[in-house]
This record gives sequence, structure tokens and C-alpha cells, in this order.
Amino acid sequence: MNPAPERHFPGIRYGLIGGVCVVILSLIGMVEAFNQREIVTDVITMGQTLLLMMAAFVAYLGAQRAQPRRASTVLVSGTASGLIMAVLLSLFVLLGNAVNLRQVFINASPLLFQLLTFGQESLGAGIGLLLLAGALVGLLAGLLSLMSGLVRRALITAFSCVTFAGMLQDLVTPILSEAGPLSDLNDFLYPGNGLCVEGAVTVFVVIAALTAAWARKGDAVRSRIRSLPPSRRRVLNIAYIVVGVFILFVLPQILGLFLSEVLTIIGLYIMLGMGLNIIVGFAGMLDLGHVAYFAIGSYTMAILTSPELGFFSLNFWQALPFAIVMGVITGVLICTPVLKMRGDYLAITTLGFGEIIRILVLSDWLRPWLGGAQGIGKIPRAELFGFEFGSPQTLYYLILAGCLLIGFISWRLRDSRLGRSWMAVREDEDVAQAMGINLVSTKLKAFAVGAGFSAMSGAIFATKLGSVYPHSFNVMISINILCVIIVGGMGSIPGVIVGAAALVGLPELLREFAEYRLLVYGAVLVAMMLLKPEGLWPEATHQRELHEVESDAGVADVPETAVSRG
Amino acid sequence: MAVITTRKLTKQFGGLVAIDTLDLEVREHSIHSVIGPNGAGKTTLFNCITGFYRPEIGEILLDDRSLVGFLPDQIVQRGVARTYQNIRLFSNLTAVENILVGLHSHLKAGFLGIVTRSPATRKEEKEANEEALRLLKFVGLSGKGDLLSKNLPYGDQRRLEIARALATRPKVLLLDEPAAGMNPRESQNLMDFIRHLLDELGITILLIEHQMRVVMGISEIVTVLDYGKKIAEGPPAEVQRNPLVIEAYLGKGGAAQANAAA
Repeated sequence: MNPAPERHFPGIRYGLIGGVCVVILSLIGMVEAFNQREIVTDVITMGQTLLLMMAAFVAYLGAQRAQPRRASTVLVSGTASGLIMAVLLSLFVLLGNAVNLRQVFINASPLLFQLLTFGQESLGAGIGLLLLAGALVGLLAGLLSLMSGLVRRALITAFSCVTFAGMLQDLVTPILSEAGPLSDLNDFLYPGNGLCVEGAVTVFVVIAALTAAWARKGDAVRSRIRSLPPSRRRVLNIAYIVVGVFILFVLPQILGLFLSEVLTIIGLYIMLGMGLNIIVGFAGMLDLGHVAYFAIGSYTMAILTSPELGFFSLNFWQALPFAIVMGVITGVLICTPVLKMRGDYLAITTLGFGEIIRILVLSDWLRPWLGGAQGIGKIPRAELFGFEFGSPQTLYYLILAGCLLIGFISWRLRDSRLGRSWMAVREDEDVAQAMGINLVSTKLKAFAVGAGFSAMSGAIFATKLGSVYPHSFNVMISINILCVIIVGGMGSIPGVIVGAAALVGLPELLREFAEYRLLVYGAVLVAMMLLKPEGLWPEATHQRELHEVESDAGVADVPETAVSRG
Repeated sequence: MAVITTRKLTKQFGGLVAIDTLDLEVREHSIHSVIGPNGAGKTTLFNCITGFYRPEIGEILLDDRSLVGFLPDQIVQRGVARTYQNIRLFSNLTAVENILVGLHSHLKAGFLGIVTRSPATRKEEKEANEEALRLLKFVGLSGKGDLLSKNLPYGDQRRLEIARALATRPKVLLLDEPAAGMNPRESQNLMDFIRHLLDELGITILLIEHQMRVVMGISEIVTVLDYGKKIAEGPPAEVQRNPLVIEAYLGKGGAAQANAAA
């Protein structure tokens, strides 16, 4: 082995890949669209941050792969990748100045090129600055790669926090302004569009210090908590729960109308995600038609309650059980023909069923009952003891209750005879059957429970909107739900919440993202599969035996095995 | 008395006759080994007994009751459990969870009982956990119950697979080349353990093995298969000397050499 001749090779390769990526990001208009939002006022915008993060990440990968790991090679490798990205971007700028690219790429606007050259008057100065910035970013990424894990984590966390603080100004400001004495912080951090320089530096330093402190002391604190006597620990757990419930309860008041609306959408997706999580995450059956149960829940609610049709005119609470039962029945009906299918075939078939439901509700044939393309309107709001769940801020509580109920059921099921049989089927269907698991009933139960959860989400969705349309139930919903549980972590209950917040919440908050939603989904999925295939919040393995050992200390003390005895 | 009996059992795959009119009797409380060269139909026999394949012709009886036509989950509930030649654990579940899956058909909890965590469910889960830990200890894996089964070393995975099969509370345990990939010492340990299973739990063991040497010490009866046909059966020492068996393993020339050497 003679690694010396190609030791900078990773830097160059990553630089080229990264360069292509940043040019594409610019070409599709993402950089320009994100430029409306300033992260730090008059210093850096979200568009620039996007490029910067991309470049830093790629250069970091290049630096990490540099061989041999000497300071010089790592730094050169990082700088090389940064510089190459800048070179490619400069070539793009030069090309854009020489030829009118807009005829093909409508986003290659003068504004974009101005942005890429830091608004410099002369092209030469702009490109020089760009190259310098690229090399500098690469060098910093190289330095980052050389630092100890603790410092690196602190810096990256602090940087991400500053970015998020700038990006989510609309989210942070209303919260702070409600928080009494903290409202002064608002004026300090956000005097205009984005963080001010002092604010950004403060956030950076505070977060970096906190992260470093926690990394150093965190283990000690955790072991202190663990060494508390059980009674004290229980008190602590109850305290956590009380604080958590309190926060959940007052959240819509703090967040205001718009953010409560976002929360209700996230909540509906959490319910859907928990439903799909049973089918895909627990039982391992790839269901791409999950929107079907959502639609069934919504339409059942609409038919039973809407005076527009005038069939039943039940109220929300009377109709809800029917909606759930209809969902369960649909789940069983859809599952029955696909019982013997696995993997790809199952995915395609369920995808078809999802579309069939949508086309049925759209059809003229069922128009007298389902309203056709016009849908069904005038669905009454849910009411409980005179409390109307109308505005997002009140609806939030209904959805919160639904999420808690479904989460609770999921959690109980996960760790039970039924949950284990689902997971056994997921791991190896044949062996599961050879262990005495009835595949038919196990699969039917997974579809029934998953569909029931999603139908409940659909029913609430119907009263939230007050009307249902076939177009609300297209295949993208199924794909979104699947992305939510993949990103959150297959089979993980907290993962569904994290996934829904990240994939549904963020695009709502950052409207710029919405346009690029599919692109971002694709990129996120690829990145997740490469970097963190187990998801953002993977399912924890259960510590069963140790619990038992704690209570019954004799069990593990016998190292003598039956085999060696024999 | 025979626990498992096959009569004229035949299984074909297209033109290939994997098992050819096989008559087999596995006596209660015995270790019965089925050996034979690669492709002799040993694993196919297991797949027929456990219900994964449906034989074209013939009968499989468990205590005089037919097993043909039942699904694998129904057969395991009747008391026939198995392990696999290439270990097939639920790799993303922990060792304890693997065993708990084996206990599945002995648990009763339904949806409502689980969600409300009724006293009956709680008691059942507690007992199942205790039983799983007991089985874990029995196969010598105490303290490893919370590891994901894919992270266990090879030998431990073999033993966990046996524990999972035992959790179904079988009358007959079918072991498919349990010593595959083990060195002579390890396989000797394993054979002692299998003997121990019989003595301790009183279950009947039907064992597939590729190498004759491994099963010689512990089997009461050895059946030799070649091309799906039974070519010899009897106590190990007798079978070992059978010229047909030597021929099946070593070919005609080899048999002649072996004879000359004898």
C-alpha cells in the first residue's frame, strides 16, 4: 500500500461533488429564494448560509477522509475541497456573465450572480472574494476535523443554533414577547430582519459554553440521577411529566394563532405517522396507500355529520367511533388481498388501493353520497360541554388528546404479545410462523390498528377544515407520512413526533422551503439513509433482563453454562 | 412408541424428487439423527414435517395425528419446534424478546387487555419474562438477554435459537445442523448440551447433521438419506460400517478403498 500519491484525492473528489451541488442549488433558485430571510442582519442571509453549510459539510467530509491524518494533509484536503467548490461556482458565475443562461435556467438571474459575488461592483473582485471565501470555509472545516470531539460538537451545535435562531425568527419572537421579562431579549436579538451581530455572537457563545459544559458534566448529572433512591427518582419522573403536560397545555396560548395552526397540522401527521408506524415500522409491511384510511375517516365524519347531505346529522362525538370503525374495516379489507404479498409487490398494490379510494370519492357515480369533486361541506365543529373546538388554538387540544391516546396505545402495544408478533413478522415472516404466530390474524390486526389511528386523524381533519374534498387525499399524503416515519426512525414512537415536526412543521414555518419540499424530502431521505439510517430518534432496545436482575439479584450471578456443565 | 412417523413421504420439486417414499419412525425420548450428503433431502424433510412444504404423497403423523395440511404455526402449537441450518433469529430484537416470541402461542393477551394493561395481562407478561430468563439461563446466556440477537457471537446465536424453540414447549425438537460452523470441541460441547436437553426436559430430538462423526456419540438411531431415499438405518456403529453409506459419502472408489483399508 502506498497511500501518499492520493492523499489529497478525497479533498478534490468531495470538492467536485460539492461544487456540482452548490451550482445546482443556485440554478434551481433555492439560494435566491432563501435570500429573503436574513440570518444575521446585513451580514448573512439564509441563502448564503445554505451555500456555506453545504460547502462546510462537504469540505469537512473531504478533510475527514484525508490520509494520512496529519494536520497538514487534513487542512490541505479541506482547503482544496473548499477552493474547488468556489472555482466551480466562479466558473458558473463567469459563464452566466458571458452567456444568457436564463433562456434555459430561469433562475440564473443577475440577482443570483450578484449574490454569489457578494454584491461587488467588479466581477474580478467578486470572484476573488468567492474563491477566498471557499478556501477559508474549507480551511475552517479542516480545522474542525482536527479538533477534539467536544469542541467540535460545541461549535457545530452553537452554529446550528444561531442559524435556527435566525431562520425561525417568526417562531421565536412571539414566544419571547409573551414571556414577560424575556421580551427585552427580543429587541436585543432581533432589531430588524434577522439576528443582530451582537445577538448572534451572544447566542453562539452561550450555546457553545452550555454544550461544552453539558458534555463535560452531563454524565455526572445523569449518574447522579440514576443513583437517586427509587422514591426520589419517581418524584423526579412525575415532575418531568407534570412540567411536560403543563407546557403542552399552555403551548397554543404562548405560540399564538399561526403557530398553533402549524401544531395542529403536525398533530394530524403524528396520528397518521403512528398509524403507519404500526403497519410499516412494527409489522414491516410497506404500505404506500395509507392516505386511504385518512380519507375514509374524513369522509365518514363528513357523511355522518354534514347537514349538506342530510343523511344523519350526528355530532362529532357520535360520528367519531363510526369513522374509526370504518377505518378499521377498510384496513382489514385492503389487507385481505395482500396477505401473501411482500415487499415491492405489497407497496405497489397498496399504492393502487390508495388511489382507488380517491378516485371513488371523486367519481360521478358516488356523487349523490360523496359529493364528487365538490366534496362535502358544512361539517360541524366538535363540541364538548359547550367548549367548541373551532380555532386552531382550541382544536389543538382535541388533536393533542388524539395524539396522546394514539401514542399511549402504540406504546402499550409495542411492548406486548401483539407488538412482538408484529416485529417477529417484520424480521422474518417464515420463522415467525414457525414460532406459532398466525400470519393472517397478525397482519390483519396491524392493518386494522394502523388504519383505525389514521381514520381518527382523518375524522379530526374533517372537522378542522369543515369540508372534505377528494383532492386533499392524493398520493403525496401517503409519501409524506412514509417520509415522516423514515426520517424519525422506523418503529420508533418518539421518532414519529420528531419526524413530523421536522418534515411537516419546518416547511410550514419556512414558506421558502415549501416550494422545494419534494427536493428537500429527497435530499433528506438520501442523507438519512447514508448518515443515519436508523432515523433521528431510533427505537431504543428494551432493557428487560437488567430490570429483572435488579429485583432478583440471583439470576445473572451464574456464569456456569448448561453447555459447559454437560 | 413413535412420536413422529412418516409413511411413504414424497416431496417433488418439478422433476426433482427431494424425498422419495420415506418411512421414518422417531421414538419417544430418543435422539434420532438424520444424516446424508449435501442435497440428500434432510432439510426438505424438516420443512415437510414443520408444514412449510406440503408433501405430494404420504403421511406425517405426530402421535397418530396427521400433520399434513396444517400451517407451520398450527404444527408448532401441536408440539414440533425447529431451528435452522443458517441461523434465523429475529436479529433486531433482543435475546429475551426472541424467546418471548417463542412463547407467543402460550400467551393469551388481547388488544384491550394489552392497552388497559389488565391484571391478567400483567401477570402473564411477568411470568413470560421469568420463563424467558429461565430459558436464557438454561442455555447459558444469562446476562446477555438485553443484547440484540444480531450482536451475539455465533455460538450464542445457536444456543439462543434453541432457547427460542424450547420456549414453544415442544414435544419434539428438530435441530437442523446445529453444529455447522463449529470446531470439534464446540460441537462436542453442543452435543453434550443436546443430550442434556433430552435428560432434563424429556423432549424427543430429531437432529440433522452433515458429518457422521458428530452424531455418533449421542444418537440412538441414525437414518442415512441419499437422493431422498433412506439407504440405511440403525444404531450408529452399525450404520457406520454399512457399505452403502460409505459409498454415498465417498463414492464408489472411496468405498472400495475403505473396504481395502478395513
